[in-house]
Amino acid sequence: MSEIEEEAVRQNYSEQEKTSIFDTEFMIHVDSMYNFAYRLTFDEDDAKDLVQDTYLKAFRFINSFERGTNAKAWLFRILKNSFINEFRKKSKQPAKVDYNEVESYYNSDDAGENITTDLRVETVQHMIGDEITGALNALPVDFRTVIILSDLEGFTYEEMSKILDIPIGTVRSRLHRARNMLREKLISYAKEMGYNN
Amino acid sequence: MSEFSVWFEQTFKQCYCEKGNLVDQDRFSEIVQLVLDNEADEESRALFEEKIRTCVQSSGRFEKEKGLRESIQQKLTEFKKDIPSDLAQSIKNSINL
Repeated sequence: MSEIEEEAVRQNYSEQEKTSIFDTEFMIHVDSMYNFAYRLTFDEDDAKDLVQDTYLKAFRFINSFERGTNAKAWLFRILKNSFINEFRKKSKQPAKVDYNEVESYYNSDDAGENITTDLRVETVQHMIGDEITGALNALPVDFRTVIILSDLEGFTYEEMSKILDIPIGTVRSRLHRARNMLREKLISYAKEMGYNN
Repeated sequence: MSEFSVWFEQTFKQCYCEKGNLVDQDRFSEIVQLVLDNEADEESRALFEEKIRTCVQSSGRFEKEKGLRESIQQKLTEFKKDIPSDLAQSIKNSINL
């Protein structure tokens, strides 16, 4: 649990304060937390377990949280670490993607440069939410994660950098690659489905 | 000038040829994402907006990027999983709240 406690100024909350923080600052994010967990695990029960586990840890280490600071980012960080450290090991997570390999490919000169020019707004508008979500779910988890954090949860690059433990420059490039990968998937999907692209 | 502004200016310049035509769509797309994510500082944003005002090609490309991004975002947001009705209570029960 050192990742939760590191860099934190230790607080000394009373039981009443702990309950109040948990209710007013943590529980309001349960919906976002569950959706994040579901988009990582693709399984309702697993998502539920992951969220419960995250909240248990959050309560256990509540003295490492400074009241009034960014509770959502703090919780997301715990959830992401739980997913990586414990959950992914035992999960039915399908493809084990070599993240470094994927990222270095997408950062290389070999990666397609015209990905974003081939997708039309009208094509996307013809698609339904399920199809776009399917394309997002098909991305390797590290790329999927940055899109979820940025485009669905509205985190800034700095917040994402803290949640994911990566430099801001890496957030920026990973997000750009992830969005390109998503568009590439949408183009393939549109062609497959006969959308007029 | 901040480190970011320097990087932004250099990267933005590389999107264009000597005649000022947009030649690197991918790099331009990266720059647009930064602007739309509100991650560009004031100086960088001003540089970008000036170019958008004066270059039809850049302006068209920007609008397309913006439209695509908004459409994808909107579709993704539509798909939201309903939270299990007992989840909040079971969390509270598990820590005796």
